[in-house]
Amino acid sequence: MGAPILEIRGVSKRFGKLAAVDDLSLSVQTGAIFGIIGPNGAGKSTLFNLVSGVSRPDSGEILFDGVDVAGWHSDAIARAGIGRTFQNLRLFGYLSARENVMIGGHARLKATLFDSLLNTPRARREERAALSRADELLARFDLAADADRFARNLPYGGQRRLEIARALAGQPQLLLLDEPAAGANAAEKRALVDLVRAINAAGTTVVLIEHDMGVVMELCHRIAVLDYGVKIAEGDGAEVRANPRVIEAYLGTPDA
Amino acid sequence: MHEFLAQLVNGISLGGIYALIAIGYTMVYGIAELINFAHGDVYTLGTFVALAIFGALGISGELHGIALVVDSGLALIGAAVCCGLIGMAMERLAYRRLRNAPRLAPLITAIGVSFILQNLMQLWKGSAPIPFPAVLPNPRFDLGPVSITAQQIAVVALAVAAMFALQIVVTRTRTGAAMRAVAQDRQAASLMGVDVDRTIAITFLIAGLLAGVGGFVSGVYYQSTWFLNGFSAGLKAFTAAVLGGIGNIAGAMLGGFLIGIIESFATWLIGGQWSNVTVFAILILVLVLKPSGLLGERVPEKV
Amino acid sequence: MVYAIAAIVIAFAVAIDRVRTKRTKLLLLAGLAVLLAVAPRLGGSDASVNALVDIGIYVVLALGLNVVVGFAGLLDLGYAAFFAIGAYTYAMLASPQFGLHLPFWVLLFLAAALASLCGIVLGAPTLRLRGDYLAIVTLGFGEIVPQVFQNLTKYTGGPNGIGALDVPTFFGIPFGQSALPYYYVTLAAIALTLLLTNNLRASRLGRAWMAIREDQLAAAHAGIDTTRSKLAAFALGASFSGFAGVIFAAKLSLVSPDLFQFQVSVLVVSMLVLGGMGNIPGVVVGAVLLGLLNGTVLPQLDTIATDVLHVHADLTQASFLIYGVILVGLMLFRPEGLLPDRERRAEMHAAPNEVV
Repeated sequence: MGAPILEIRGVSKRFGKLAAVDDLSLSVQTGAIFGIIGPNGAGKSTLFNLVSGVSRPDSGEILFDGVDVAGWHSDAIARAGIGRTFQNLRLFGYLSARENVMIGGHARLKATLFDSLLNTPRARREERAALSRADELLARFDLAADADRFARNLPYGGQRRLEIARALAGQPQLLLLDEPAAGANAAEKRALVDLVRAINAAGTTVVLIEHDMGVVMELCHRIAVLDYGVKIAEGDGAEVRANPRVIEAYLGTPDA
Repeated sequence: MHEFLAQLVNGISLGGIYALIAIGYTMVYGIAELINFAHGDVYTLGTFVALAIFGALGISGELHGIALVVDSGLALIGAAVCCGLIGMAMERLAYRRLRNAPRLAPLITAIGVSFILQNLMQLWKGSAPIPFPAVLPNPRFDLGPVSITAQQIAVVALAVAAMFALQIVVTRTRTGAAMRAVAQDRQAASLMGVDVDRTIAITFLIAGLLAGVGGFVSGVYYQSTWFLNGFSAGLKAFTAAVLGGIGNIAGAMLGGFLIGIIESFATWLIGGQWSNVTVFAILILVLVLKPSGLLGERVPEKV
Repeated sequence: MVYAIAAIVIAFAVAIDRVRTKRTKLLLLAGLAVLLAVAPRLGGSDASVNALVDIGIYVVLALGLNVVVGFAGLLDLGYAAFFAIGAYTYAMLASPQFGLHLPFWVLLFLAAALASLCGIVLGAPTLRLRGDYLAIVTLGFGEIVPQVFQNLTKYTGGPNGIGALDVPTFFGIPFGQSALPYYYVTLAAIALTLLLTNNLRASRLGRAWMAIREDQLAAAHAGIDTTRSKLAAFALGASFSGFAGVIFAAKLSLVSPDLFQFQVSVLVVSMLVLGGMGNIPGVVVGAVLLGLLNGTVLPQLDTIATDVLHVHADLTQASFLIYGVILVGLMLFRPEGLLPDRERRAEMHAAPNEVV
């Protein structure tokens, strides 16, 4: 582990009168698996939206590899090396699984407009390479059999895996996973944990929003706890579990 | 100065007609997120219906006294009701099914409906402009540097009256509340027990009524009509709705008058053949620079 | 003969759509090309050939618009503007108007480039608007362009337009009065358009367009610069229109503003809707059907009505009623068109970069 790959400094975002994220700071070490947990409405997805360029923070900095990407467009952030999945799945439903993954790798290809228009040798070469890379990824994610199926027709677990595969096709240095275990059964969660570990071992830093404590505790080197847009705790699994503010946030105070 | 004021007055009258049409666009867009392409043709239809009623009554010249009130009232109401019903029919037959379809579908359907209406009017009364009887007596009133005709006053008065009536309906009646609810959040309104279908149908009815009134007014004021009127008037009225802030009724009024004035001045200063270009250029500029318009909140940008 | 050729084209298009392998498709296409190349020899008046050229020009227009609407999902209701720009480019640079006489072959590509530039100028500020607003903006543009041509009488001949346009020459041989040379030029243009648009469809850019159409947010997260991609679609689409405009102007030897009104834009959109937008064979079918209806069927029905039924009918007057009914009917009952894209894709088991 070296310098932090992602540093969030004093970031705030209001929607009307509501502060979804309030003066939040945290930092993610390169190569770590970092967890973000907290009750519903705590601002976790908003934070991801700020990092991936869906919305722009009202204040603060978001440093990715030392560069402030706050306010950048999503595509620029993706090209810089951040990939993400979405809480509510945003697959390209009427495209095949393979096409989804190939699109994920869009930024890694260099074919220009002219290459595309004229189907130049370079375009053809790149397409073949993109195709085989996509098939590789699909195989790795146990989706090879579904390669030609419409993404929307895949079983739920397959869809979740496909979204991760698509994000990985962009070869990101940082992967943001938004509730990847939602709706998964025990076996799927097991598989997910192995998958994320493998992704991390291959060199990708992972930041994970998750509600399933088992998954979080197993995977994450470090965890931040959010409540009402504010970070109320940070530390490793054991520290966070024992933190009274965290317990209160999840379970409420005795007389509440 | 004299000319300036004359053009201003002219523009305001023109704007009154645009306002009446624009309100319809904005209401329908607000509630159904549909640009009712055929709305301009409904307006033209209003003129045609009024013309037909006058024809049926055997009227071809100026009216006075009781005849003025009764006959033109008949034509006005006839035009308004007819257009209101056509508006409702359009929604029921063509648009309702496509409420959840991708945005392209209702727009293309609206274009189709527009063509159908235009062509029907063309087959009805021919391709050339048609004269409309000059039924309203039109005394001039000289107020210092500017003179205003009774018709100009009538146009503006009618437009303003319509807006006030509409405001009352929208803010004081249950139907109006339902309309506002459905415009804000259709699903929530439906869960609260609002009959969404009926509410949308009423919106189209009102939009059609206003367009019909606009059609009657236009016939009386310009003493002529043409089956293709609706296309350009419709685009300009839509520009007015966007300028004022789409979804905002007061905005449509304001936008209507502004566009009328702009068109009037453009015709005066750079020539009639450039007035359309000017208005459409404004449309593009508004959407590019301030898409929410002057008074509106809905933003036509892709989020 | 026009009907026969149209039927053949449609039959081949449907076949190409149904068939699976790339090789079979190419074979069919080659066969069609040969048939079309010899067709005029098999009888048929110059008027028939002329009608076919008109249909052919619509095919190019429809294929070009397909890039914008079908591939990238951008609703363009002002496509005729670029057609006009192409046509007037020829009219102003190859006629007595300014005494300039650039060659037809150069102007084809110059006009395409110019139209494409206009597409960029229009698109840059407006492509981020939501679908229906973009539609209205393009409509406004489609109104502005012919109006401007009409108003700048000094340069553009005003409402009467510009006539006596240069007759194109091919290695020194002038095209002459017959429609035949234009027929072959149009066939070549269609071939070129088919090639280029098919390349686009199966390319990295084509995939980016599909992604943008499905979910613009997710597409951006895949690193796709959505603005640039949309602009590319718009500009490319415009270029085909400009290109077709030159052929149109040269054949007619005349341009005037009333040839490029909104109705033309809508007609082309209707071709896409009817045929199945996004699907190249479908688009061709839609273009042939409506082009035939517009140019041949309706005038002939008038003749039949007049001669046979002794009824004075001016069905061309009712043409927009018919189009309107077709559009509304399609949208209500078969919005995906005759040869839809997605259904076909569901059946296909081919990789994404196969030829259509």
